[in-house]
Amino acid sequence: MLIVWILVALAALLVIIFFSYYNRFAVLSNRIDNSLSQIDVQLKRRADLIPNLIESVKGYMKHEKAAIQAVTEARKALVAAKDVAKRVRADNQLESALKTIFALAENYPDLKANTTFVELQKELTATEDRVAYARQHYNDSILSYNNLCTTFPGRFFAGMYGRKEKEYIKIEEAERKAVKVKFE
Amino acid sequence: MADRIDFRDQIASNKWKSLFLMFGVAIIIVLLGYVISMAFDPGYTFVIMIIAIIFSLLYTWFSYYNSGKIAVWSVGAKEAERSRYRDYYNAVEGLTIASGLPIPKLYVMQSAQINAFASGRNPKNSVICVTEGALQKLDRKELEGVLAHELGHVASYDIRFMTLVTVMVGMVAIISEIFLRSLWFRGGNRDNKGSMIFLAIGIVLAIVAPIVVILVQLAISRKREYTADASAVKFTRYPQGLIGALKKIGHENRVPEKQVSKAVAPLFISAPIHEWISTHPPLSELNSFKLRRCLS
Repeated sequence: MLIVWILVALAALLVIIFFSYYNRFAVLSNRIDNSLSQIDVQLKRRADLIPNLIESVKGYMKHEKAAIQAVTEARKALVAAKDVAKRVRADNQLESALKTIFALAENYPDLKANTTFVELQKELTATEDRVAYARQHYNDSILSYNNLCTTFPGRFFAGMYGRKEKEYIKIEEAERKAVKVKFE
Repeated sequence: MADRIDFRDQIASNKWKSLFLMFGVAIIIVLLGYVISMAFDPGYTFVIMIIAIIFSLLYTWFSYYNSGKIAVWSVGAKEAERSRYRDYYNAVEGLTIASGLPIPKLYVMQSAQINAFASGRNPKNSVICVTEGALQKLDRKELEGVLAHELGHVASYDIRFMTLVTVMVGMVAIISEIFLRSLWFRGGNRDNKGSMIFLAIGIVLAIVAPIVVILVQLAISRKREYTADASAVKFTRYPQGLIGALKKIGHENRVPEKQVSKAVAPLFISAPIHEWISTHPPLSELNSFKLRRCLS
């Protein structure tokens, strides 16, 4: 009788293990999708801020048509891009165009005193941070998923559930965050 | 290194420890009730025991659901308005995207010192509180580092265990204090031997109980801080922010903070009260540890 109970317990344990691995794959895979859409959300937010910026800058920076043009075009490219990888690349373009604008703004004290502009600048920097963090989270999510797929015992279950390692969409993390560590 | 920190084990261990702690404290309260009833009047033991059991259950339930609120309330923090603390919100929102955590409730506490703590029972019901001093004296990256450290505590469910420890231990301390104080008023007018023994046990319990729990808390805290630092680096990918903040803390927080009660002190990133054992690792050690970790 005891042996039956032990077998029942073992069977139950096995079922739980199978279920929990199935769920783990599902959760991690969802996290990847979710983090990818999070990148999009943040990029959209950023794109939405640009027209306001152009509006507030236009009056002051009359002689910087080219720089303003570059921002407008980068935004257009961002909105038109078909997939996330392209959008991220467009965002890099936008980022450097914005840097030019903000650098030029230093020459216009009136503009720098304009609260709308200052607020927008802050907001844009914050969304840039968010984009960077969203990209980082995406990469982290892929990494933990792939680690589960390639290490034992996850590897065994991955084969069973038809889960394969995922390709990274090449989304580099922002260079701004490059880590400098002093060697002593 | 990003994947070396997997929160699952930590979360499970914190949940178990919280459960254990809640049971433990509930039992201690019942035992204290027994000892107290024996020491004062054994005739009422039954009634007192029933009251003690009900009280301990209510108390455990209440601390579990309100520990975060109690912690925030006890330091007199106010909810941060989004319009006034834009940078604070921006930093936290960025970090929650990086960590995939829900956005905690944000609080600000009136203090010129640089300090912060996280609390709550799970990430969905978490709070983060920083001092005005931290918001003023830290630059954006440093503030981000401190907030990421606190989010590390949130992600690993440290907040559940640590807040429960502080809230419930705080209570044990109060109960024992009341017990000890009442002994003073009783004086020595009855010379019943049995009552004297229970009196002795009562005194020992009252002294030992809080010390034991504080020791437990100190023993676990150090490792938690290291892990939270590592999580902070994982979230920000920028150790210099937190290191800079910790250096500033080491520089500025020389004077102990007065308005924070001893029970809540260990929750903070920089312990506001100088104790005989410090809960958080010394800052220089911390820096070197972190640097080593980043290099490996």
